[in-house]
Amino acid sequence: MNIRKLTKRYDGKAVVDGVSFTIPKGKVTSLIGPNGAGKSTVMGMISRLIARDEGMVDFEGKEMKQWKSRELSKRLAILTQHNNVQMKLTVRELVAFGRFPYSGNRLTAEDEGIIDNAISYMELEEFEQRFIDELSGGQRQRAYIAMVIAQDTDYVLLDEPTNNLDIYHASNMMKMARRLCDELGKTVILVLHELNYAAFYSDYICAFANGRIEKFGTVKEVMQKDVLGKIYNVDFEIMEIQGKPLSIYY
Amino acid sequence: MRASSYVLNKKRIFTLYPQLEEERAERKTGSRADIRTKLMILSILVLLAAAAYLTVGVHFENQRLMNYAFSLRTPKLIVMAIAAFAIGGASIVFQSIINNTIVTPCLLGMNSLYTLIHTAVVFFAGSGSILAVNANLAFAADLILMSVAATFIYSYLFRKTNHNVLYVLLVGTVLSSFFGSLQGTMIRVMDPNEYDSLLATLVASLSNINGEIITVSLLVLAGVIFLLRKELALLDVITLGKNQAINLGVDYDRTIRRLLWGVTICIAVATAMVGPISFLGLIIANLSRQLFKTYRHSVLITGATLFGMVLLMGGQLIVEHIFVYSVPISVFITVGGGLYFLYLLLKGRKSI
Amino acid sequence: MRKYGSTLVLVLVLFILSVCSLFIGVIDVNLQGLLGGNVEQLHIFLASRLPRLLAILCTGVGMSVAGLIMQQLCMNKFVSPTTGATIASAELGVLIALLFMPSSTLWGRALFAFAAAILGIWIFVWFIQRITFKDVVMVPLVGIMFSNVIGGITNYLAYKYEMTQALSSWLVGHFALVIRGRYEIVYLVLPLVILAFLFATHFNIVGMGKDFSQNLGVNYNLVLFLGLGIAAMITASVVVVVGAISYIGLIVPNLVALFKGDKIKGTLIDTALFGAVFVLACDMLGRVIIAPFELPIELIIGVLGSILFIGLLFYRLKNGRRAVAWLKKVKPEQQSC
Repeated sequence: MNIRKLTKRYDGKAVVDGVSFTIPKGKVTSLIGPNGAGKSTVMGMISRLIARDEGMVDFEGKEMKQWKSRELSKRLAILTQHNNVQMKLTVRELVAFGRFPYSGNRLTAEDEGIIDNAISYMELEEFEQRFIDELSGGQRQRAYIAMVIAQDTDYVLLDEPTNNLDIYHASNMMKMARRLCDELGKTVILVLHELNYAAFYSDYICAFANGRIEKFGTVKEVMQKDVLGKIYNVDFEIMEIQGKPLSIYY
Repeated sequence: MRASSYVLNKKRIFTLYPQLEEERAERKTGSRADIRTKLMILSILVLLAAAAYLTVGVHFENQRLMNYAFSLRTPKLIVMAIAAFAIGGASIVFQSIINNTIVTPCLLGMNSLYTLIHTAVVFFAGSGSILAVNANLAFAADLILMSVAATFIYSYLFRKTNHNVLYVLLVGTVLSSFFGSLQGTMIRVMDPNEYDSLLATLVASLSNINGEIITVSLLVLAGVIFLLRKELALLDVITLGKNQAINLGVDYDRTIRRLLWGVTICIAVATAMVGPISFLGLIIANLSRQLFKTYRHSVLITGATLFGMVLLMGGQLIVEHIFVYSVPISVFITVGGGLYFLYLLLKGRKSI
Repeated sequence: MRKYGSTLVLVLVLFILSVCSLFIGVIDVNLQGLLGGNVEQLHIFLASRLPRLLAILCTGVGMSVAGLIMQQLCMNKFVSPTTGATIASAELGVLIALLFMPSSTLWGRALFAFAAAILGIWIFVWFIQRITFKDVVMVPLVGIMFSNVIGGITNYLAYKYEMTQALSSWLVGHFALVIRGRYEIVYLVLPLVILAFLFATHFNIVGMGKDFSQNLGVNYNLVLFLGLGIAAMITASVVVVVGAISYIGLIVPNLVALFKGDKIKGTLIDTALFGAVFVLACDMLGRVIIAPFELPIELIIGVLGSILFIGLLFYRLKNGRRAVAWLKKVKPEQQSC
């Protein structure tokens, strides 16, 4: 996925200002940066949820806008932060929606199998028939991920998937993102607030500040004292644990 | 926990999963059968209510009186069935569009808007003109105006409030009194002495149904369903919210726009036939959601329609034979609906 | 002097409008006739025009002050006699009096209306105090639904006892029937408004919350329910004489507060005056549009009031609780998202 000079303005103020980078295929890439740096907006634009003002997004050799929405939904899945469904929907029914781009409202036997797999992949068997508004935050998040898995796309975009999750569920979520990449060969793109999750579980990091890319590179390249200090305006120490750089800030 | 049972294909995990076919089939048919039983029971209730409505108090020994009673009651029955479908369907669709179950198009004043438009057409065309005399022609003019006005007003309202449901609802209630006041003003300007009787001829009610437009209404509803067949199929996905729907490949804005138009037409049809009944949609839509506990819109709409039929036919039966027409059914629906609404507000306020 | 500038302007406008209002009507009444001792003109003037003007003024003052008190006490800008179930309760009271004491005098009916209105408002406030609302808009929404249910019961009784005709003359507020001997109850508004003025600071304190008022030694519940009682009685006296008039209690205090802030003492007089001006202007409009007939004032206010209210709501949605910024010559701070 190739991104060229992406720009978005709200009330004349550029929130995202000429962002260009290429997302490495089959890897986990994390977008990080302080509040208002524009990472979620970039995520929205490359997933067609937010209309862009300028720039190009080249997806698999074709401009994003040229793709049929239905076709795109078989190649790229996005999960946003706020998912308030007021309807009575069971976990299984939610996951089944992942097959919508393929089969519409009529599920085939193959679809059912895929749904079963997605549910067990996220260890949701015992909640299968529960309504999603009765679940805890962590369980609901897993149900949504299961739906994205059932959608069976090459690209998976997750916008702050660890938000509102406790440490146990958040780290499980990150391990899941890693597995999606390692076991299923997907390209995973995350927006993260927690620096160390990004450092520990991703291959590449793209650091934003003030609507621009401050630094894009491998985890080791970005997790540098001076780079992070410049982005966040906080003093950093970088430690190495299990061969991965971790940041300490105060 | 059952990690060993995963069969993971490197690229596509979804080839085979050793779950028992029977187990899956059982689970699936379990809920389906449940829904089917409930629908059957409701349908039987509808048939009972309809039969009772047609036959109670009819003098079967007198052929002419019997025919007379049937010729009066049959169109009413048909009108009630159409209204139940139009209101029930419109309410369910509308709730799914804005992803909130305490709002219905009638609470936002769509039916007052229709009554206003109808009055305005007669007002500007003159009470002697062809538009005022020919019910079908007037209906057509109303529908066109309604499509334009409602689309404009409500899409502006949603945009302006950023889809904040509480504000939409408050503005909607105020709008409905605004439309009502405007309509009252027009009627009084038209005929200050006889405004009461003018009001009665202009605005239909359940005891004063507009039976002339049955055929046209059926055609209009069929047309709407046909034109929106693709969008209606997308309703289940729309339920997931804007982002998820786009993610699953739905052209969201266009779909919503067209569905909203369909809702408007349905409300216009219902209001033209039986007049404004604000809380009916709220009651039947929520009863249907509570009973069936599903997201499947085909089931929900059918359920709401059946509930609407039972409520209208049964209610009208009671009103006509126990209260002898003294109290219109809309009064009961208002009180019941108001209490039900308060209950829903308080019950659901955690999620607001 | 600047402090009283707005008040002076309002007094002046009110005076001019009042004089105009006296000379609008089907039968010509003019100054020469009155001064020249034309008996017929004098009779119309004293029996119809003057009572009407006084009723209008009392209605305007009363409804807006009632709204102001309710908004202060409930700490919610959207509460008013309309959105607080008060008008609907008063109507139910009137109907019950008509049903069970058909021979009751106007005063008898007023008594019923008072009782019902006070009861209605107390139940409503008790109800909303049980619940903590996340959004301020929930409160008026619950109030409107409350009113719907009470109104439904009123309708039911009216249909059942074939009182719909009598009821519809109460349901739609109008001044056409205000003549000498049938409207004096509306004067009750005056002592009640004065009472409200005396307790203004108390209401302000109670409006700041329970802890706040206890800290200052003010009996929260006593002042709360007393204040609500005053508002209910004002509303009821207006309903008995002219019928239901919505929105004044909602629009007027909010508009005045936009310009003058939320301290009751400073805004009470302006609110009362502006209310009178607003109702008077609407009444004159209603009399002119389809002369020689007249439009009920409820319809005029229903149209104007809803537009103003929606405007107010959108303004608030955009700017939050801030007062009108351009008036204070302060640049609004950039809101961060």
